[in-house]
Amino acid sequence: MVMQLQNVTFSYRNAKEKTIQHMSMEMEKGEILTILGQSGSGKSTVLRLIAGLEVPEEGMMTINGSTMFDQETFVQPEKRGVGMVFQDYALFPHMTVAGNIKFGLKKMKRTERNDRLASVIELVGLKGFEKRYPHELSGGQQQRVALARAMAPNPSIILFDEPFSNLDADLQIKIRDELRTILKKAGITAIFVTHDQADARAIADRVILMEKGHIVKIGTPDLILC
Amino acid sequence: MNVFRFFRLHANSWSIMSIIFMLLILSPTLSIFVQIFEKPNENWTHIQEFLLKNYIQNTITIVFFTGLFSILVGVSLAWFVTAYTFPLRRFFKWGLILPLAIPPYIGAYTYHGIVNYTGVLQSTLRNEFNITANPAYFDIMNIPGAIFIFTIFLYPYVYIITRAYLEQQSASLIENARLLGSGPLELFFHVIMPISRTAIIGGASLVILEVLNDYGVVSYFGIQVFTTAIFQAWFGMSDVASAIKLAGMLMAIVFLILFLEKVLRGRKQYSYSNAKVRPLEPISLSREKTILLFVYVLFIFTIGFLIPFVQLFQWMMLTYEKVISPDFLQLIFNSVYVSLISSFLIMIIALVIGNFTRLADSPWSKAVSRITVLGYSIPGAVIAIGVLTFFLWLDRHLNMVYTALGIDAPIILSLSLVMLIFAYVSRFLAIGFNPVDAGFDKIGRSFTEASRLLGTSLMRTFFKVDLPMIRGAVFGGFTLVFIEVMKELPLTLLLQPFNFYTLSTKAFQYANDEAVHEAALASMLIILISGLSIFVFHAVLEKEKK
Ligand SMILES: Nc1ncnc2c1ncn2[C@@H]1O[C@H](COP(=O)(O)OP(=O)(O)OP(=O)(O)O)[C@@H](O)[C@H]1O
Ligand SMILES: [Mg+2]
Repeated sequence: MVMQLQNVTFSYRNAKEKTIQHMSMEMEKGEILTILGQSGSGKSTVLRLIAGLEVPEEGMMTINGSTMFDQETFVQPEKRGVGMVFQDYALFPHMTVAGNIKFGLKKMKRTERNDRLASVIELVGLKGFEKRYPHELSGGQQQRVALARAMAPNPSIILFDEPFSNLDADLQIKIRDELRTILKKAGITAIFVTHDQADARAIADRVILMEKGHIVKIGTPDLILC
Repeated sequence: MNVFRFFRLHANSWSIMSIIFMLLILSPTLSIFVQIFEKPNENWTHIQEFLLKNYIQNTITIVFFTGLFSILVGVSLAWFVTAYTFPLRRFFKWGLILPLAIPPYIGAYTYHGIVNYTGVLQSTLRNEFNITANPAYFDIMNIPGAIFIFTIFLYPYVYIITRAYLEQQSASLIENARLLGSGPLELFFHVIMPISRTAIIGGASLVILEVLNDYGVVSYFGIQVFTTAIFQAWFGMSDVASAIKLAGMLMAIVFLILFLEKVLRGRKQYSYSNAKVRPLEPISLSREKTILLFVYVLFIFTIGFLIPFVQLFQWMMLTYEKVISPDFLQLIFNSVYVSLISSFLIMIIALVIGNFTRLADSPWSKAVSRITVLGYSIPGAVIAIGVLTFFLWLDRHLNMVYTALGIDAPIILSLSLVMLIFAYVSRFLAIGFNPVDAGFDKIGRSFTEASRLLGTSLMRTFFKVDLPMIRGAVFGGFTLVFIEVMKELPLTLLLQPFNFYTLSTKAFQYANDEAVHEAALASMLIILISGLSIFVFHAVLEKEKK
């Protein structure tokens, strides 16, 4: 088991109702999970909780067996080994593609770092773009840089918050399939958030259906999406 | 959530430093609050009985009329510039801001120098036209004179904010009113004034706060108000207790103004909305009306900028050879030195507090940012008194340390530049903080979050990601603070160490010693630097808009 959530409850400061209620789930290594749900159902919030960007009120979470949070502990996001691809990619505008990707690799030695850069660039198919700045790339290319940047430090899990919403429909389908291939090839455990059923079907091994902060269904895409 | 975990989560270096800075910045104001209710002495009884009424009356008179006239001038100019075409309109659009570059105290002694017996006005009348007019006609060293000075040099606050508002928000409203056949006067009083209410009130309250802060104009003109009274109590009678009480009352007036502003403005905040609103197309008026309008605009520009500027320039040419000396260079050095240090400190503190309030994003971190910007509303003299009593208290308590270190002096901090710079920091922090805050607001939190998820600590994230992304705002803030400190008068006069002068205090001293001509060079430098501030401010603003 790579990751386990148990009985997690959370609400934003000024919210009346609990945003996430008693949520539990587990993930196996290399699995691709999709969280599907309507707008406002709490999908992004789940990712933020897993990443350590929000502090839960109750419950616990482990990654690779070590506790990330419970009533006593809270591991800061930079110590969790969780990667995230943001909806707007959040590529650092003042750094090149290479700078962005190497940003999470400062613990490595120089040569090691450059090797890692070369291999993830290769993987996402962006060879030759290393020296460009984010604003000099297309939307799809930016998205792949964001993926490469999240993958580079070898996180235990990568989280994707609606990664396709900024792309037009054709590109969306192409990239979606590409992404699954890349993730599977690298054996990466990943969670996707989306509200598009087709996305979920194309990419997921397992789907979680959320409503108002609850999990209503878990299962394979065929089972959930009919 | 248990308390232990709460502290572990929130007690990072940012929050701790922010709280410390906050307490330091608040301490002078608090020290006034603490001492304001101490038992009054004999002197205070005298002040209360014979003088206080006068202070209050004068203050209210000046504030009221300056506010009123600034609104009339500022709003009418804003309206003319946005709604009508006339010659040189594009130039006047920003030229009408220029009077703001002349600090009112410099304006005051320049105008006095122009209209007094030996000034250019009366001597021209005498020599060229052989008219010897009653000198009383030319006396501006009185309350109406002060109102005149404040109005012509401070109306740009109203003008800037109202113009920005009219340009962005009003096209359809005004065009509708025009179509419904409103005449210009009706349009002005029944449409323009009411719809720009929030902008006008915002601008007018800035004007009023400047007036309450002023010491230079009122003291030069010999008018009794709170700031002059604070100086008298302090320097004239060494009566700290009364100075504190006066400072407390002045602060109460400021809070009243801030409160009134909130109430009058209602719930709407005037905002530079980002939406691309269709700008109002200026229309042309009849020939006569256009001439009239042009003359009015030119007149305000002339008295607000051209006349004092030209006069100072002429005086400067007369005296610069005499004035420039090693001493004068020392003055420039002093000004630059304190301004640089203060700006540096302010930007560091602004960044720490800005980053903290952004990351914590909770009600109490919002309170911290509110308090941070409050200092700018509090008059310099009040801050000075607060800082002074705070440092005297510190010195008393550090006495043992001094003795232990073998220093044989009862007070050290209270005589040093540390105190002056400390006071600058509490007063001008808002000026550095606002652009930083806006910068953080603009970049949002996702870059920071992305960086942390890549294994980077908060501190490293700050230097590698946050800071590079808002460096434009930091530079803008730094420049604005630098200039604001250069111009500052009341606080500097009260707190400058013995034999330490800045450009502004020296210029003021020259003027007070009847050496107005010698004050010109220092004044000119200050005006040029302030002009630069206006330019930077607008450059930053324009860039932010994009
Ligand atoms: N920072 C916040 N402060 C307060 N409430 C928030 C905040 N962010 C989200 N919420 C609320 O929490 C609930 C869940 O939000 P969340 O962003 O997780 O939904 P989502 O499923 O990701 O929706 P979407 O598909 O629109 O992105 C919503 O009701 C939302 O209004
Ligand atoms: Mg979402």
